[in-house]
Amino acid sequence: MSISSFFYIIVETFKGLYRNRWMCITSTGVVVVTLLMLGVFMLVNLNISHITETVKEQVEIVVYIDETADQEMLDELGQKLSAHSGVAGIRYVSSEEHMNRLHRQLGGMLEGYDAELDNPLLASYEIRTVVPESVAVLASEFETYPGVSTVFYGQGYVENLFAVTGVVQMVGLALMAGLSITAVFLISHTIKLTVMMRKREISIMKYVGATNWFIRWPFVLEGLLMGFAGAVMPLVALYYLYQFSLEWVSANNLAFLTLLPAWVVTVELARYLVPLGTGLGVLGSVFSMGRFLRV
Amino acid sequence: MIEAKNLSMKYEKGGRYALESASFYIDRGEFVFFVGSSGAGKSTLLKLIIREIRPTDGVLKIFGRDVGRLPRHRLPYLRRNIGMVFQDFRLMEERSVYDNVAFAMVVIGVSRREIRKRVPHVLGLVGLHDKAKTRVCDLSGGEQQRVGLARAIANRPAMIIADEPTGNLDPGTTLDIMNLLRSINLRGTTVLVATHNREIVDRFKKRVLYLENGKLIGDEQKGIYAHVH
Repeated sequence: MSISSFFYIIVETFKGLYRNRWMCITSTGVVVVTLLMLGVFMLVNLNISHITETVKEQVEIVVYIDETADQEMLDELGQKLSAHSGVAGIRYVSSEEHMNRLHRQLGGMLEGYDAELDNPLLASYEIRTVVPESVAVLASEFETYPGVSTVFYGQGYVENLFAVTGVVQMVGLALMAGLSITAVFLISHTIKLTVMMRKREISIMKYVGATNWFIRWPFVLEGLLMGFAGAVMPLVALYYLYQFSLEWVSANNLAFLTLLPAWVVTVELARYLVPLGTGLGVLGSVFSMGRFLRV
Repeated sequence: MIEAKNLSMKYEKGGRYALESASFYIDRGEFVFFVGSSGAGKSTLLKLIIREIRPTDGVLKIFGRDVGRLPRHRLPYLRRNIGMVFQDFRLMEERSVYDNVAFAMVVIGVSRREIRKRVPHVLGLVGLHDKAKTRVCDLSGGEQQRVGLARAIANRPAMIIADEPTGNLDPGTTLDIMNLLRSINLRGTTVLVATHNREIVDRFKKRVLYLENGKLIGDEQKGIYAHVH
Protein backbone atom coordinates (compact mmCIF):
# COMPACT_ATOMS: atom_id res chain seq x y z
CA MET A 1 0.00 0.00 0.00
CA SER A 2 1.42 3.39 -1.00
CA ILE A 3 1.69 6.28 1.46
CA SER A 4 -0.96 8.26 -0.46
CA SER A 5 -3.33 5.26 -0.25
CA PHE A 6 -2.66 4.92 3.48
CA PHE A 7 -3.38 8.59 4.12
CA TYR A 8 -6.39 8.39 1.84
CA ILE A 9 -7.82 5.53 3.88
CA ILE A 10 -7.23 7.29 7.20
CA VAL A 11 -8.61 10.61 5.95
CA GLU A 12 -11.58 8.90 4.26
CA THR A 13 -12.37 7.05 7.49
CA PHE A 14 -12.73 10.29 9.44
CA LYS A 15 -14.36 12.13 6.54
CA GLY A 16 -16.84 9.26 6.24
CA LEU A 17 -17.56 9.42 9.96
CA TYR A 18 -18.11 13.18 9.70
CA ARG A 19 -20.15 13.12 6.49
CA ASN A 20 -22.44 10.38 7.81
CA ARG A 21 -22.27 11.62 11.38
CA TRP A 22 -25.95 11.14 12.15
CA MET A 23 -25.96 7.62 10.80
CA CYS A 24 -22.71 6.92 12.67
CA ILE A 25 -24.19 8.28 15.88
CA THR A 26 -27.24 6.05 15.34
CA SER A 27 -25.06 2.99 14.68
CA THR A 28 -22.88 3.71 17.69
CA GLY A 29 -26.02 4.35 19.75
CA VAL A 30 -27.32 0.92 18.76
CA VAL A 31 -24.02 -0.65 19.83
CA VAL A 32 -24.07 1.35 23.10
CA VAL A 33 -27.63 0.35 24.01
CA THR A 34 -27.14 -3.31 23.08
CA LEU A 35 -23.80 -3.64 24.83
CA LEU A 36 -25.15 -1.76 27.84
CA MET A 37 -27.95 -4.29 28.19
CA LEU A 38 -25.49 -7.10 27.58
CA GLY A 39 -23.14 -5.55 30.14
CA VAL A 40 -25.86 -5.30 32.79
CA PHE A 41 -26.68 -8.99 32.34
CA MET A 42 -23.00 -9.87 32.41
CA LEU A 43 -22.58 -7.83 35.56
CA VAL A 44 -25.48 -9.61 37.26
CA ASN A 45 -24.26 -12.97 36.03
CA LEU A 46 -20.70 -12.34 37.17
CA ASN A 47 -21.90 -11.50 40.64
CA ILE A 48 -24.29 -14.44 40.80
CA SER A 49 -21.40 -16.69 39.78
CA HIS A 50 -19.22 -15.06 42.43
CA ILE A 51 -21.84 -15.46 45.16
CA THR A 52 -22.50 -19.04 44.06
CA GLU A 53 -18.80 -19.84 44.14
CA THR A 54 -18.48 -18.30 47.60
CA VAL A 55 -21.43 -20.37 48.84
CA LYS A 56 -20.08 -23.47 47.13
CA GLU A 57 -16.76 -23.02 48.91
CA GLN A 58 -18.63 -23.24 52.18
CA VAL A 59 -20.37 -26.48 51.24
CA GLU A 60 -18.71 -29.40 53.02
CA ILE A 61 -19.36 -32.95 54.15
CA VAL A 62 -19.24 -33.75 57.82
CA VAL A 63 -18.40 -37.42 58.49
CA TYR A 64 -19.29 -38.25 62.11
CA ILE A 65 -17.14 -41.01 63.58
CA ASP A 66 -18.69 -43.95 65.29
CA GLU A 67 -18.13 -43.68 69.07
CA THR A 68 -16.90 -47.31 69.12
CA ALA A 69 -14.11 -46.56 66.66
CA ASP A 70 -10.62 -46.81 68.15
CA GLN A 71 -7.62 -44.61 67.33
CA GLU A 72 -6.36 -47.00 64.65
CA MET A 73 -9.71 -46.99 62.87
CA LEU A 74 -9.85 -43.20 63.17
CA ASP A 75 -6.42 -42.80 61.56
CA GLU A 76 -7.25 -45.28 58.83
CA LEU A 77 -10.48 -43.44 58.05
CA GLY A 78 -8.60 -40.11 57.98
CA GLN A 79 -6.01 -41.51 55.56
CA LYS A 80 -8.68 -43.05 53.34
CA LEU A 81 -10.64 -39.80 53.15
CA SER A 82 -7.50 -37.71 52.46
CA ALA A 83 -6.42 -40.06 49.68
CA HIS A 84 -9.80 -39.87 47.92
CA SER A 85 -9.51 -38.09 44.54
CA GLY A 86 -12.74 -36.15 45.10
CA VAL A 87 -11.54 -34.65 48.38
CA ALA A 88 -9.80 -31.28 48.40
CA GLY A 89 -9.01 -31.22 52.13
CA ILE A 90 -10.06 -32.69 55.46
CA ARG A 91 -10.02 -31.45 59.00
CA TYR A 92 -10.46 -33.52 62.15
CA VAL A 93 -12.81 -32.05 64.74
CA SER A 94 -12.79 -33.80 68.11
CA SER A 95 -15.94 -34.18 70.23
CA GLU A 96 -14.46 -31.61 72.64
CA GLU A 97 -14.10 -29.06 69.86
CA HIS A 98 -17.69 -29.68 68.81
CA MET A 99 -18.77 -29.03 72.39
CA ASN A 100 -16.71 -25.82 72.50
CA ARG A 101 -18.34 -24.66 69.27
CA LEU A 102 -21.74 -25.39 70.77
CA HIS A 103 -20.79 -23.40 73.87
CA ARG A 104 -19.82 -20.48 71.70
CA GLN A 105 -23.02 -20.69 69.64
CA LEU A 106 -25.44 -21.14 72.52
CA GLY A 107 -23.63 -18.94 75.04
CA GLY A 108 -25.11 -19.14 78.52
CA MET A 109 -27.68 -21.79 77.67
CA LEU A 110 -25.20 -24.60 78.44
CA GLU A 111 -24.22 -23.13 81.81
CA GLY A 112 -23.53 -25.84 84.40
CA TYR A 113 -23.31 -28.59 81.85
CA ASP A 114 -20.14 -30.69 82.35
CA ALA A 115 -18.86 -31.17 78.87
CA GLU A 116 -15.85 -33.26 79.85
CA LEU A 117 -17.79 -35.85 81.74
CA ASP A 118 -20.87 -36.13 79.61
CA ASN A 119 -20.19 -35.11 76.03
CA PRO A 120 -22.71 -36.74 73.64
CA LEU A 121 -21.21 -35.14 70.54
CA LEU A 122 -19.33 -37.30 68.06
CA ALA A 123 -15.90 -36.46 66.65
CA SER A 124 -15.92 -35.79 62.90
CA TYR A 125 -13.96 -35.14 59.77
CA GLU A 126 -14.98 -31.98 57.93
CA ILE A 127 -14.35 -32.46 54.23
CA ARG A 128 -14.08 -29.97 51.39
CA THR A 129 -14.66 -31.60 48.03
CA VAL A 130 -12.89 -30.82 44.75
CA VAL A 131 -16.23 -30.41 42.99
CA PRO A 132 -18.88 -28.96 45.35
CA GLU A 133 -21.68 -30.48 43.24
CA SER A 134 -20.37 -33.99 44.04
CA VAL A 135 -21.11 -33.78 47.78
CA ALA A 136 -24.20 -36.01 47.62
CA VAL A 137 -22.42 -38.82 45.75
CA LEU A 138 -19.35 -38.63 47.95
CA ALA A 139 -21.44 -38.50 51.11
CA SER A 140 -23.23 -41.73 50.26
CA GLU A 141 -19.84 -43.35 49.51
CA PHE A 142 -18.32 -42.18 52.80
CA GLU A 143 -21.29 -43.57 54.71
CA THR A 144 -20.11 -47.08 53.83
CA TYR A 145 -16.60 -46.57 55.24
CA PRO A 146 -15.81 -48.47 58.45
CA GLY A 147 -15.89 -46.32 61.55
CA VAL A 148 -18.41 -43.87 60.11
CA SER A 149 -21.53 -43.20 62.10
CA THR A 150 -23.43 -40.70 59.95
CA VAL A 151 -22.67 -38.29 57.15
CA PHE A 152 -24.13 -34.80 56.87
CA TYR A 153 -23.80 -32.33 54.00
CA GLY A 154 -26.92 -30.18 54.26
CA GLN A 155 -29.09 -32.69 52.41
CA GLY A 156 -31.89 -30.98 50.51
CA TYR A 157 -30.51 -27.41 50.87
CA VAL A 158 -27.41 -28.05 48.77
CA GLU A 159 -29.36 -29.66 45.95
CA ASN A 160 -31.75 -26.70 45.90
CA LEU A 161 -28.88 -24.21 45.89
CA PHE A 162 -27.20 -25.89 42.94
CA ALA A 163 -30.47 -26.19 41.03
CA VAL A 164 -31.32 -22.49 41.52
CA THR A 165 -27.85 -21.16 40.67
CA GLY A 166 -27.74 -23.47 37.63
CA VAL A 167 -31.04 -22.09 36.35
CA VAL A 168 -30.01 -18.47 37.03
CA GLN A 169 -26.76 -18.95 35.11
CA MET A 170 -28.48 -20.67 32.20
CA VAL A 171 -31.04 -17.87 31.94
CA GLY A 172 -28.21 -15.30 32.06
CA LEU A 173 -26.28 -17.09 29.32
CA ALA A 174 -29.40 -17.42 27.16
CA LEU A 175 -30.12 -13.68 27.57
CA MET A 176 -26.52 -12.78 26.72
CA ALA A 177 -26.56 -15.01 23.63
CA GLY A 178 -29.90 -13.49 22.54
CA LEU A 179 -28.63 -9.94 23.03
CA SER A 180 -25.40 -10.70 21.14
CA ILE A 181 -27.39 -11.98 18.16
CA THR A 182 -29.65 -8.92 18.33
CA ALA A 183 -26.55 -6.68 18.43
CA VAL A 184 -25.07 -8.35 15.34
CA PHE A 185 -28.36 -7.93 13.48
CA LEU A 186 -28.87 -4.28 14.44
CA ILE A 187 -25.28 -3.23 13.85
CA SER A 188 -24.94 -4.92 10.46
CA HIS A 189 -28.27 -3.38 9.49
CA THR A 190 -27.27 0.16 10.41
CA ILE A 191 -23.84 -0.20 8.80
CA LYS A 192 -25.55 -1.54 5.69
CA LEU A 193 -27.50 1.73 5.59
CA THR A 194 -24.30 3.80 5.71
CA VAL A 195 -22.81 1.63 2.96
CA MET A 196 -25.97 2.04 0.87
CA MET A 197 -25.73 5.80 1.21
CA ARG A 198 -22.29 5.56 -0.36
CA LYS A 199 -22.96 2.93 -3.00
CA ARG A 200 -22.32 5.43 -5.82
CA GLU A 201 -18.87 6.14 -4.42
CA ILE A 202 -18.19 2.40 -4.13
CA SER A 203 -19.31 1.68 -7.68
CA ILE A 204 -17.09 4.51 -8.99
CA MET A 205 -14.16 3.03 -7.09
CA LYS A 206 -14.86 -0.36 -8.66
CA TYR A 207 -15.00 1.12 -12.17
CA VAL A 208 -11.73 2.99 -11.84
CA GLY A 209 -9.94 -0.13 -10.63
CA ALA A 210 -9.77 0.06 -6.84
CA THR A 211 -9.21 -3.29 -5.16
CA ASN A 212 -11.91 -4.62 -2.85
CA TRP A 213 -9.69 -4.22 0.19
CA PHE A 214 -8.89 -0.64 -0.69
CA ILE A 215 -12.63 0.04 -0.80
CA ARG A 216 -13.30 -1.89 2.38
CA TRP A 217 -10.60 -0.36 4.60
CA PRO A 218 -12.29 3.00 5.38
CA PHE A 219 -15.58 1.19 6.11
CA VAL A 220 -13.83 -1.42 8.22
CA LEU A 221 -12.01 1.29 10.19
CA GLU A 222 -15.25 3.21 10.59
CA GLY A 223 -16.95 0.05 11.87
CA LEU A 224 -14.03 -0.57 14.21
CA LEU A 225 -14.13 2.95 15.63
CA MET A 226 -17.92 2.89 16.00
CA GLY A 227 -17.76 -0.53 17.66
CA PHE A 228 -14.95 0.58 19.96
CA ALA A 229 -16.80 3.75 20.98
CA GLY A 230 -19.95 1.69 21.36
CA ALA A 231 -18.15 -0.63 23.78
CA VAL A 232 -16.22 1.95 25.80
CA MET A 233 -19.23 4.15 26.55
CA PRO A 234 -21.32 1.41 28.21
CA LEU A 235 -18.19 0.25 30.01
CA VAL A 236 -17.74 3.67 31.62
CA ALA A 237 -21.47 3.88 32.39
CA LEU A 238 -21.46 0.39 33.91
CA TYR A 239 -18.42 1.21 36.04
CA TYR A 240 -20.19 4.16 37.66
CA LEU A 241 -23.47 2.27 37.90
CA TYR A 242 -21.72 -0.60 39.63
CA GLN A 243 -19.82 1.74 41.98
CA PHE A 244 -23.14 3.25 42.94
CA SER A 245 -24.63 -0.24 43.52
CA LEU A 246 -21.70 -1.22 45.74
CA GLU A 247 -22.15 1.92 47.81
CA TRP A 248 -25.88 1.26 48.08
CA VAL A 249 -25.26 -2.35 49.21
CA SER A 250 -22.83 -1.27 51.91
CA ALA A 251 -25.06 1.65 53.00
CA ASN A 252 -28.02 -0.71 53.43
CA ASN A 253 -26.10 -3.24 55.53
CA LEU A 254 -26.37 -5.97 52.89
CA ALA A 255 -22.82 -7.15 53.61
CA PHE A 256 -23.86 -10.79 53.20
CA LEU A 257 -24.00 -10.04 49.45
CA THR A 258 -20.34 -10.65 48.68
CA LEU A 259 -20.10 -8.59 45.46
CA LEU A 260 -17.02 -8.35 43.28
CA PRO A 261 -14.94 -5.15 43.46
CA ALA A 262 -15.66 -2.55 40.73
CA TRP A 263 -12.27 -2.80 39.00
CA VAL A 264 -12.52 -6.62 38.78
CA VAL A 265 -15.94 -6.34 37.17
CA THR A 266 -14.82 -3.57 34.80
CA VAL A 267 -11.76 -5.51 33.64
CA GLU A 268 -13.89 -8.62 33.14
CA LEU A 269 -16.53 -6.67 31.19
CA ALA A 270 -13.85 -4.91 29.10
CA ARG A 271 -12.38 -8.31 28.18
CA TYR A 272 -15.67 -9.22 26.53
CA LEU A 273 -17.31 -5.96 25.52
CA VAL A 274 -14.36 -4.24 23.78
CA PRO A 275 -13.48 -7.16 21.45
CA LEU A 276 -17.20 -7.84 20.98
CA GLY A 277 -18.00 -4.21 20.06
CA THR A 278 -15.03 -3.74 17.73
CA GLY A 279 -15.53 -7.22 16.26
CA LEU A 280 -19.20 -6.52 15.62
CA GLY A 281 -18.35 -3.18 14.00
CA VAL A 282 -15.72 -4.73 11.71
CA LEU A 283 -17.80 -7.80 10.81
CA GLY A 284 -20.88 -5.65 10.30
CA SER A 285 -18.95 -3.48 7.81
CA VAL A 286 -17.39 -6.40 5.93
CA PHE A 287 -20.63 -8.37 5.64
CA SER A 288 -22.81 -5.43 4.71
CA MET A 289 -20.45 -4.46 1.86
CA GLY A 290 -20.44 -7.80 0.04
CA ARG A 291 -23.32 -6.98 -2.30
CA PHE A 292 -21.91 -3.58 -3.26
CA LEU A 293 -18.49 -4.96 -4.15
CA ARG A 294 -19.89 -7.38 -6.72
CA VAL A 295 -19.70 -4.84 -9.59
CA MET B 1 -6.83 -5.18 -28.36
CA ILE B 2 -10.38 -6.61 -28.19
CA GLU B 3 -11.12 -9.98 -29.72
CA ALA B 4 -14.59 -11.55 -29.42
CA LYS B 5 -15.34 -15.05 -30.71
CA ASN B 6 -18.93 -16.34 -30.66
CA LEU B 7 -19.56 -14.15 -27.62
CA SER B 8 -22.98 -14.81 -26.04
CA MET B 9 -24.73 -13.61 -22.95
CA LYS B 10 -27.99 -14.65 -21.31
CA TYR B 11 -29.02 -12.94 -18.08
CA GLU B 12 -31.39 -15.76 -17.15
CA LYS B 13 -31.13 -19.46 -17.76
CA GLY B 14 -33.63 -20.31 -20.48
CA GLY B 15 -34.19 -16.62 -21.24
CA ARG B 16 -33.43 -14.81 -24.47
CA TYR B 17 -29.91 -13.91 -25.55
CA ALA B 18 -28.90 -10.34 -24.67
CA LEU B 19 -25.96 -10.97 -26.99
CA GLU B 20 -25.70 -13.91 -29.35
CA SER B 21 -22.61 -15.30 -31.04
CA ALA B 22 -20.90 -11.97 -31.64
CA SER B 23 -17.45 -12.09 -33.23
CA PHE B 24 -15.30 -9.03 -33.96
CA TYR B 25 -11.83 -7.60 -33.55
CA ILE B 26 -10.94 -4.06 -32.48
CA ASP B 27 -7.40 -2.87 -32.90
CA ARG B 28 -5.39 -0.51 -30.72
CA GLY B 29 -6.17 3.16 -31.40
CA GLU B 30 -9.50 2.58 -33.15
CA PHE B 31 -12.65 4.67 -32.64
CA VAL B 32 -15.72 2.43 -32.74
CA PHE B 33 -19.44 3.15 -32.37
CA PHE B 34 -21.74 0.41 -31.08
CA VAL B 35 -25.17 1.31 -32.40
CA GLY B 36 -28.62 -0.17 -32.15
CA SER B 37 -31.95 0.49 -30.49
CA SER B 38 -32.62 -0.06 -26.77
CA GLY B 39 -32.18 -3.73 -25.84
CA ALA B 40 -29.99 -4.40 -28.90
CA GLY B 41 -27.10 -5.56 -26.69
CA LYS B 42 -24.82 -2.49 -26.66
CA SER B 43 -24.66 -2.11 -22.90
CA THR B 44 -24.30 -5.87 -22.45
CA LEU B 45 -21.27 -5.80 -24.70
CA LEU B 46 -19.69 -2.95 -22.74
CA LYS B 47 -20.44 -4.72 -19.46
CA LEU B 48 -18.71 -7.82 -20.80
CA ILE B 49 -15.64 -5.78 -21.78
CA ILE B 50 -15.22 -4.35 -18.29
CA ARG B 51 -16.14 -7.78 -16.86
CA GLU B 52 -19.10 -6.50 -14.93
CA ILE B 53 -20.69 -9.71 -16.20
CA ARG B 54 -19.23 -12.98 -17.48
CA PRO B 55 -20.14 -14.33 -20.92
CA THR B 56 -22.43 -17.34 -21.04
CA ASP B 57 -20.54 -18.66 -24.09
CA GLY B 58 -17.65 -17.73 -26.32
CA VAL B 59 -14.36 -15.98 -25.69
CA LEU B 60 -13.61 -12.31 -25.11
CA LYS B 61 -9.97 -11.30 -25.05
CA ILE B 62 -8.99 -7.82 -23.87
CA PHE B 63 -5.31 -6.87 -24.05
CA GLY B 64 -4.70 -10.54 -24.96
CA ARG B 65 -6.35 -11.93 -21.81
CA ASP B 66 -9.54 -13.98 -21.70
CA VAL B 67 -11.64 -11.77 -19.40
CA GLY B 68 -14.24 -14.49 -18.87
CA ARG B 69 -11.62 -16.53 -17.05
CA LEU B 70 -10.01 -13.60 -15.26
CA PRO B 71 -10.01 -14.22 -11.49
CA ARG B 72 -11.97 -11.67 -9.47
CA HIS B 73 -8.88 -10.29 -7.73
CA ARG B 74 -7.33 -9.40 -11.12
CA LEU B 75 -10.35 -7.32 -12.19
CA PRO B 76 -9.12 -4.00 -10.74
CA TYR B 77 -5.95 -4.26 -12.85
CA LEU B 78 -8.00 -4.80 -16.03
CA ARG B 79 -10.18 -1.80 -15.19
CA ARG B 80 -7.19 0.47 -14.58
CA ASN B 81 -6.54 0.21 -18.32
CA ILE B 82 -10.10 1.13 -19.19
CA GLY B 83 -11.65 4.55 -18.60
CA MET B 84 -15.44 4.54 -18.20
CA VAL B 85 -17.81 7.35 -19.18
CA PHE B 86 -21.48 7.03 -18.25
CA GLN B 87 -24.70 8.60 -19.47
CA ASP B 88 -25.56 9.64 -15.89
CA PHE B 89 -21.96 10.86 -15.32
CA ARG B 90 -21.63 8.92 -12.01
CA LEU B 91 -19.77 11.66 -10.19
CA MET B 92 -19.57 12.49 -6.52
CA GLU B 93 -21.79 15.52 -6.73
CA GLU B 94 -21.00 17.09 -3.38
CA ARG B 95 -17.27 17.06 -4.07
CA SER B 96 -15.17 19.40 -6.18
CA VAL B 97 -14.14 18.81 -9.78
CA TYR B 98 -10.54 18.37 -8.62
CA ASP B 99 -11.57 15.77 -6.00
CA ASN B 100 -13.56 13.76 -8.51
CA VAL B 101 -10.63 13.47 -10.90
CA ALA B 102 -8.05 12.96 -8.15
CA PHE B 103 -10.25 10.25 -6.64
CA ALA B 104 -9.66 7.96 -9.65
CA MET B 105 -5.91 8.29 -9.13
CA VAL B 106 -5.89 7.99 -5.36
CA VAL B 107 -7.81 4.72 -5.33
CA ILE B 108 -5.19 3.03 -7.48
CA GLY B 109 -2.31 4.33 -5.38
CA VAL B 110 -0.92 7.20 -7.51
CA SER B 111 1.38 9.42 -5.43
CA ARG B 112 0.05 12.74 -4.14
CA ARG B 113 2.79 14.60 -5.99
CA GLU B 114 1.80 12.96 -9.26
CA ILE B 115 -1.88 13.71 -8.58
CA ARG B 116 -1.13 17.39 -7.96
CA LYS B 117 0.70 17.49 -11.27
CA ARG B 118 -1.69 15.45 -13.39
CA VAL B 119 -5.15 16.68 -12.32
CA PRO B 120 -4.68 20.28 -13.58
CA HIS B 121 -3.25 18.89 -16.82
CA VAL B 122 -6.26 16.60 -17.38
CA LEU B 123 -8.70 19.36 -16.45
CA GLY B 124 -6.94 21.56 -19.03
CA LEU B 125 -7.48 18.90 -21.69
CA VAL B 126 -11.24 18.91 -21.13
CA GLY B 127 -11.40 22.69 -20.74
CA LEU B 128 -12.19 22.81 -17.02
CA HIS B 129 -8.91 24.18 -15.62
CA ASP B 130 -10.74 27.16 -14.10
CA LYS B 131 -13.42 25.00 -12.42
CA ALA B 132 -11.18 22.80 -10.32
CA LYS B 133 -12.63 24.01 -7.02
CA THR B 134 -16.25 24.10 -8.14
CA ARG B 135 -18.58 21.50 -6.72
CA VAL B 136 -19.86 19.08 -9.37
CA CYS B 137 -23.48 19.78 -8.46
CA ASP B 138 -22.94 23.43 -9.44
CA LEU B 139 -21.89 22.50 -13.01
CA SER B 140 -24.02 22.13 -16.16
CA GLY B 141 -24.67 18.68 -17.66
CA GLY B 142 -22.02 19.18 -20.34
CA GLU B 143 -19.46 20.29 -17.77
CA GLN B 144 -20.29 17.31 -15.59
CA GLN B 145 -19.66 14.99 -18.53
CA ARG B 146 -16.32 16.73 -19.09
CA VAL B 147 -15.45 15.90 -15.49
CA GLY B 148 -16.46 12.31 -16.26
CA LEU B 149 -14.14 12.35 -19.26
CA ALA B 150 -11.31 13.90 -17.26
CA ARG B 151 -11.72 11.16 -14.65
CA ALA B 152 -11.75 8.50 -17.36
CA ILE B 153 -8.45 9.67 -18.90
CA ALA B 154 -6.77 10.57 -15.59
CA ASN B 155 -4.99 7.23 -15.30
CA ARG B 156 -3.94 7.23 -18.97
CA PRO B 157 -5.95 4.14 -19.89
CA ALA B 158 -5.38 2.31 -23.16
CA MET B 159 -9.12 2.33 -23.82
CA ILE B 160 -12.11 4.58 -23.12
CA ILE B 161 -15.59 3.08 -22.99
CA ALA B 162 -18.48 5.53 -23.17
CA ASP B 163 -22.00 4.22 -22.63
CA GLU B 164 -24.44 6.73 -24.16
CA PRO B 165 -22.14 9.62 -23.12
CA THR B 166 -24.37 12.25 -24.72
CA GLY B 167 -27.73 10.74 -23.78
CA ASN B 168 -28.47 13.50 -21.26
CA LEU B 169 -26.98 16.41 -23.20
CA ASP B 170 -28.26 19.02 -25.66
CA PRO B 171 -26.99 18.86 -29.30
CA GLY B 172 -24.34 21.57 -28.86
CA THR B 173 -22.85 19.99 -25.77
CA THR B 174 -23.08 16.57 -27.39
CA LEU B 175 -20.82 17.75 -30.18
CA ASP B 176 -18.31 19.18 -27.67
CA ILE B 177 -18.12 15.89 -25.79
CA MET B 178 -17.75 13.87 -29.00
CA ASN B 179 -14.99 16.19 -30.20
CA LEU B 180 -13.22 15.65 -26.91
CA LEU B 181 -13.52 11.88 -27.34
CA ARG B 182 -12.12 12.23 -30.85
CA SER B 183 -9.15 14.27 -29.60
CA ILE B 184 -8.52 11.65 -26.91
CA ASN B 185 -8.59 9.02 -29.68
CA LEU B 186 -6.12 11.02 -31.74
CA ARG B 187 -3.65 10.76 -28.87
CA GLY B 188 -3.68 6.97 -29.35
CA THR B 189 -6.40 5.85 -26.94
CA THR B 190 -8.91 3.31 -28.23
CA VAL B 191 -12.44 4.74 -27.88
CA LEU B 192 -15.63 2.67 -27.83
CA VAL B 193 -18.92 4.55 -27.79
CA ALA B 194 -22.34 2.95 -27.39
CA THR B 195 -25.00 5.29 -28.72
CA HIS B 196 -28.23 5.59 -30.60
CA ASN B 197 -27.53 9.19 -31.58
CA ARG B 198 -27.90 9.09 -35.37
CA GLU B 199 -26.40 12.56 -36.05
CA ILE B 200 -23.22 11.86 -34.14
CA VAL B 201 -22.57 8.53 -35.82
CA ASP B 202 -23.23 9.93 -39.27
CA ARG B 203 -21.11 13.03 -38.63
CA PHE B 204 -18.01 11.29 -37.28
CA LYS B 205 -17.82 8.55 -39.93
CA LYS B 206 -15.98 6.06 -37.74
CA ARG B 207 -16.16 2.28 -37.61
CA VAL B 208 -19.68 1.16 -36.63
CA LEU B 209 -20.75 -2.19 -35.17
CA TYR B 210 -24.52 -2.66 -35.64
CA LEU B 211 -26.43 -4.62 -33.04
CA GLU B 212 -30.04 -5.76 -33.20
CA ASN B 213 -31.86 -8.08 -30.78
CA GLY B 214 -28.53 -9.21 -29.34
CA LYS B 215 -27.01 -10.04 -32.73
CA LEU B 216 -24.14 -8.29 -34.44
CA ILE B 217 -25.68 -7.59 -37.84
CA GLY B 218 -23.07 -5.34 -39.37
CA ASP B 219 -19.53 -4.01 -39.08
CA GLU B 220 -18.57 -1.08 -41.32
CA GLN B 221 -15.59 1.21 -41.52
CA LYS B 222 -16.79 4.83 -41.83
CA GLY B 223 -20.33 3.57 -41.29
CA ILE B 224 -23.53 5.57 -40.98
CA TYR B 225 -26.47 4.97 -38.66
CA ALA B 226 -29.03 4.46 -41.45
CA HIS B 227 -27.48 1.05 -42.19
CA VAL B 228 -28.96 -0.34 -38.99
CA HIS B 229 -32.27 -0.67 -40.71
